[in-house]
Amino acid sequence: MLSSFHSDDLSSSGSNTILIKPTRLIPMLAISFLVMSLIQLKVTNAQEAKNAEEERFFTENILPILETHCLECHSHESGMEGGLTLDSRSGWTTGGEHGPAISVGKPDESLLIKAVRHQVKNLQMPPEEKLSDAKIKLLVDWVKQGAVDPRTANSAKKKFDGSPLNWWSLQPLKRPDIPINVRTNNSKEHTKPDPIDAFVRRKLAEKNLSLSPPADRRTLIRRLYFDLHGLPPTPEIVSTFIADKSPDAYEKLVDRLLDSPRYGERWARHWLDTVHFADSHGCEHDVFRGNAWPYRDYVIDSFNRDTPWPRFIREQLAADHFFPNQKNLTPALGFIAAGPLELSRASTAPITFDYLDRDDMVAQTMAAFASTTANCARCHDHKFDPVTQEDYYSLQAVFAGIGKGDVLYDADAVIAKQRQDWQSLLEYSKSSEIEHRKKLLADEYVTIVKKWEKKFGNKPLAWETLAPSGFTSSSGSTLKQLADDSLLASGTRPEKDTYTITASSSLKRLTAIRLDVLADASLPLNGPGRQDNGNLHLTEFEVSLHNPENAKAEPIRLKIRKATADWDQQGWTIAHAIDGNIKTAWGIYPKVGESHFAVFELEKPQPLSPSDQIVIVLKQLHGGGHLIGRTKLSVTDADEAIASIEVLPAPVIAALKIQHDQRSEAQQAAIAAHAIQIHAQKKLAVLPPQSAVYAVSNSYSHGNKLANPMTPKVVNVLHRGDIHKPGKVANAGALSVLTELADQFELENPSDESARRAGLADWLAASENPLTWRSVVNRVWAYHFGQGLCDTLNDFGRMGGEPSHPELLDWLAVWFRDDAKGSLKKIHRLILLSATYQQASGSPSNSSPDKTKVPQSIDAENRLLWRMNRNKMDAESFRDAVLQLSGRIDLTMGGPGIQQFTQTKGPQATPKLDYDAFDWNDSKAARRSIYRVVWRGIADPFMESLDFPDLGLLSPKRGSSGSALQALMLFNNDFVLHHSEVLAKNIETNHQLIDEQIAIACRWIFLREPASAEQQMLVAYAKKHGLAATCRVLLNSNEFVFVD
Amino acid sequence: MTNINSRRQLLWNIGGGLGGLAVAQLLEREALSLENKSPNPAFNGGLHHPAKVKRVIQLFMTGGASPMDTFDYKPMLEKLHGQKLGPAEKPEGFTAPAGAMLKSPFKFKQHGESGRWVSSVFPHQAKEVDNMAFLMAMASKTNVHGPATYMMNSGFLLPGFPSMGAWISYGLGNLSDELPTFVVLPDAKGLPYNQKGPFSSGFLPAVHQGTVIKAGRKNPVPDLFPKEKYPFATRRADVEGFELLQKLNAAHSVNHHRDDSRADARIQSYELAARMQLSAPEAFDLSKETAATNQAYGLENPTTQDFGKRCLLARRLVERGTRFVQVWSGQQGATGNWDNHGSISKELPPIAASVDQPIAALLRDLKSRGLFEDTLLIWTTEFGRTPFAQGGDGRDHNGGSFVTWLAGAGIKAGTSYGNSDEWGYKAEKGKTYCYDFHATVLHLLGIDHQRLVYRQNGIDRRLTDVHGHVVKDILS
Repeated sequence: MLSSFHSDDLSSSGSNTILIKPTRLIPMLAISFLVMSLIQLKVTNAQEAKNAEEERFFTENILPILETHCLECHSHESGMEGGLTLDSRSGWTTGGEHGPAISVGKPDESLLIKAVRHQVKNLQMPPEEKLSDAKIKLLVDWVKQGAVDPRTANSAKKKFDGSPLNWWSLQPLKRPDIPINVRTNNSKEHTKPDPIDAFVRRKLAEKNLSLSPPADRRTLIRRLYFDLHGLPPTPEIVSTFIADKSPDAYEKLVDRLLDSPRYGERWARHWLDTVHFADSHGCEHDVFRGNAWPYRDYVIDSFNRDTPWPRFIREQLAADHFFPNQKNLTPALGFIAAGPLELSRASTAPITFDYLDRDDMVAQTMAAFASTTANCARCHDHKFDPVTQEDYYSLQAVFAGIGKGDVLYDADAVIAKQRQDWQSLLEYSKSSEIEHRKKLLADEYVTIVKKWEKKFGNKPLAWETLAPSGFTSSSGSTLKQLADDSLLASGTRPEKDTYTITASSSLKRLTAIRLDVLADASLPLNGPGRQDNGNLHLTEFEVSLHNPENAKAEPIRLKIRKATADWDQQGWTIAHAIDGNIKTAWGIYPKVGESHFAVFELEKPQPLSPSDQIVIVLKQLHGGGHLIGRTKLSVTDADEAIASIEVLPAPVIAALKIQHDQRSEAQQAAIAAHAIQIHAQKKLAVLPPQSAVYAVSNSYSHGNKLANPMTPKVVNVLHRGDIHKPGKVANAGALSVLTELADQFELENPSDESARRAGLADWLAASENPLTWRSVVNRVWAYHFGQGLCDTLNDFGRMGGEPSHPELLDWLAVWFRDDAKGSLKKIHRLILLSATYQQASGSPSNSSPDKTKVPQSIDAENRLLWRMNRNKMDAESFRDAVLQLSGRIDLTMGGPGIQQFTQTKGPQATPKLDYDAFDWNDSKAARRSIYRVVWRGIADPFMESLDFPDLGLLSPKRGSSGSALQALMLFNNDFVLHHSEVLAKNIETNHQLIDEQIAIACRWIFLREPASAEQQMLVAYAKKHGLAATCRVLLNSNEFVFVD
Repeated sequence: MTNINSRRQLLWNIGGGLGGLAVAQLLEREALSLENKSPNPAFNGGLHHPAKVKRVIQLFMTGGASPMDTFDYKPMLEKLHGQKLGPAEKPEGFTAPAGAMLKSPFKFKQHGESGRWVSSVFPHQAKEVDNMAFLMAMASKTNVHGPATYMMNSGFLLPGFPSMGAWISYGLGNLSDELPTFVVLPDAKGLPYNQKGPFSSGFLPAVHQGTVIKAGRKNPVPDLFPKEKYPFATRRADVEGFELLQKLNAAHSVNHHRDDSRADARIQSYELAARMQLSAPEAFDLSKETAATNQAYGLENPTTQDFGKRCLLARRLVERGTRFVQVWSGQQGATGNWDNHGSISKELPPIAASVDQPIAALLRDLKSRGLFEDTLLIWTTEFGRTPFAQGGDGRDHNGGSFVTWLAGAGIKAGTSYGNSDEWGYKAEKGKTYCYDFHATVLHLLGIDHQRLVYRQNGIDRRLTDVHGHVVKDILS
């Protein structure tokens, strides 16, 4: 065979008649073609039948097995677990990490068969349960017979169609031209075409539609008030506006409403829904977050101040990084902590918890700022959008160094500085490094040290730390003596334990013993206990004296007169540790993660000899591993004021006994360190208390302050999202699809946790990020119009909607970024002044007999905005409107949340709430709804029936449902009945005649005069059942609850 | 999705058209995907295929009912009793390290023609085993109460997802206009783990959430009637008030939005509210039941009274057209539930006794009234317990294997599916997750679990997430 003769045509013919003289070529070819065709015809018939048969075998027998047992993990659609896909022939011929899955014709050599036979360890498929023998046999037969699989790679869904960027939301932002020469129905407008109207009109014109006429002034002002303030205007304001004939009356109104603090209160709620903010953890232990509210106030304030959007992003993700000296911005970090917290899983399943908690942070951040469902890539690459699993875990890594808790801060910058200075001096004084200690001898501190020594140094009334000479655990805990003579428990954690500690003392007599239980980073939640929640239970504390030199003498059990502790768990006081009852004990919950101490005073002073051994027994018999994690014991000979005695480290006591001028430098430093420490602590104690916000920092974990800031945890890319299958380590980063922006953050110091968050904030706030700008303007649009230009506010991916007006959306995004510099108030103004916003919401009077030409038929959803959407009041608007109508609304801003329920203790950490028992006469009843305490898992039934969302998940858009249960709630709930009564009373006080009363009620509730027939009906009802009953009916009416 | 709104519009517009279907359905079906359909008379009210079940009563034992002390007999534990064979390290989700193997303190016997093993704590249910089909190897993905309770109810470990009752309400609506669709009867002692989370409608419209009924109150349905402290809200004022409201609303519709069906739907919702006021009190009134019935359900016995009353109420509700009733045994917390960490021998018998007789009575009652023809009765819990001891003779949480039984329409009575390993520690064969359980229940109701979806934050959400196989082996 001459390879030189190869041509593409011939080599593919499969013919072996190649070397033929040209003269014979044609007839030979003709013959051979004929013969071959005949043969092929036969073969084809048989082959086709065979193929069809084999394909049918595959489709009927093999495909169902693959679909039921394999494709859930091994397909392009799902995880491509182990790199293997079984959704096409090429999937298994290429194979995964272990190579090709099938060796055609050789079942015994095929990995797939070995796996289903459970022949190979670690490769047993399906993992949950072995296939039935019948199914395995089918697979074996299929492989043996040639593994016919007609599925091509194309039939397996491709992850992304074409370029990932070939999707509207990912395309770079460009400012489209504003359409010109658009026919308007208002000839006055040609002077200065409104850009929004121009885009909307162009789309309408394509369908032969046009904007509706402007809404009447009463409708317009009511719409604007509910939109910007979530409150109705008063009848007086309405009449003034109607009477104002100046051309800029409406514009002035818009500006006035945007300047009002009511605006922030209304629009903050949209954001709080979006980020699923609530005042409690949610989940099993739905614990109150008493300090969540500063974040709510921060959001209200940010809207009122009109914080530019990029700054809003940076503040909420990393205020501590970008603005380290503006501690008043700390509440912004409440953003990251807004979602639920699963306390119970945090303690019993910590690894799962970490991943899920960060998942919530990632989902929220990416949805709220970039309308991206990054969390869909937790188990596998995003099915529909270009988000890889690695991207997702990079996002998790951004949040790997923080925990949630009540973060303390000084809103006042001067106080913040003072605290910082004293704090660092305090740290200094605790340092054991010689260089640090020497510096404490500097001139500036000399007075502090002298003063202290003058006062306390002469006669040291002190606790002397006991250096244990022996210590045992009765149940197998490992106790280890540390440098400071404290004992640290580790190793096995028995259910119960008893520690016995022996030590001698230099004191001549003993009056009291002090037990310190110390926080330690090695303990759960930093201890001081060993229980998963950091708690401990000291059942009994016993002390006795032994004298080994006098073997015959009985040990003396010392009686304890009194016990005091710096902190007692409710129902678990320190008195329980000396009551001789092993069913009671001392505990420190929920103040875990910090050190505590207890002092036991002896009934009478006990003389001590140097050979006496003090034996202390710590019984911890409650069970459940409620054991002391780290402890230190000290003794004193002081007679009085025992609780106020300082604990002096042994070196200080020793140094004080030496003449001032004979002390070594180390001894001087020991005294100085102690004096400065005491001084700094006192200075810190007199500073005004710090504010607290439920937020995140690297010093908190599950609500508790850590002894040491945590270093970011390692985040692995998890196969199938399974914590038992960790893959490579993920670095902090964002989405790789936006090539204009670096997806992996360059961090100078990878353990610098806040830099990771800052990296993400910068990525999101970058002007090149097309998602961010589109996301925010679309949100603003949606809340004004009741539906977004793209109606899936949190999802601009392929599962989301596509914009009705893509050019308008892009134009607004660019305008907001470049012209408005991220000012929300500017974009509000732009939208509100458009004719599109101001048009009527009613059915246009259309005389056309052709029903297909009416706008309702052409565009039933009003996507093209041929009229304004009519919206139903949301829960807050209804509630606040009723409060305002009743004349009792309290416009106090900010502060702790208002609890509109009664609260009793529940069986666990979650209390029982009774909303029905709340007294609506309560002075706190009339605050605006945004100041309500929102208990995540125990919703207010009234608000919930009006579609207040379940804030377990992000809730960018409210529903608008109706049902018999909602009708009953609106008709019979205390809130409505009470305020109907108050409203009626107010009217009755000022108006005697019933006709007049009804007219006033209509004026307030409907903002119009009653029609005469209506007036008659209402008067008749009021005469029979009273004005309060009438107001109740009016507040339930469609006219009131809809905003036109 | 551009068609969401058109569907909404369509559904709003047909608001008055479908008799017998609760208005709630018509108000908010907009996010139903094109796959979803309305209940189809040709399918016996099913959505995607003929339904065998029209109503469901679910009995939920909160705290994790121990399988190896009730329905999952493990003779091996008797042999291994006292040996330290469990994991050395505390597994994720255990509250403490595993103790020694613990045999059941109760006697097991075989019952019925099916020969099912039942322990002595369930003498009444033991007599009914031939009516039940058991899932013997259910598993949970967590050993923690809160997430596990969510999982068995909503299929997810996290809050915010609709429970099975809510999905069914969303998919099928009610059989009656006069009662809530999804009713929850919590233990008189208190709510389960996650409070109202297990009956939440999640991201589905609020109307689908479980209505928590406090039996015995004047307002069993929240705000069914006004409180007495409002003198103006007399019964007369209520009735005439509804009439006046409807006149005002009708006039408003004429003057304003002739084409807004939401306004019409609101009008209908008040009509339904008025009807619910008339019929609900009767449904919740147990006084009309006979002495024999009261005795059968154990209403006179303090042990069984609370659960018995709620079982009886459940029967009255499904009889009158409520679609899904969930009856809870046990509250959240360390006591008064099935979370027997301290002592199986002391803590399990009383809680078991409080439900056993009422459950058997309910099953017999449903049968004798012919309700079994289209009613499904389910007994379940959030996870099982360890074969290892904890604190003496208690048992810790174990998502590895637990038992659920189903009885009634469409169920192959007297069967079981799957089994746990010899210790009862992990599912060995025929492992089912909540996904399979939920898929099976939906299947019986004429719903394809893969086609009942709701789009939320860009994801087509299902009760069964991306999992779920109908367990055909237990279906008749």
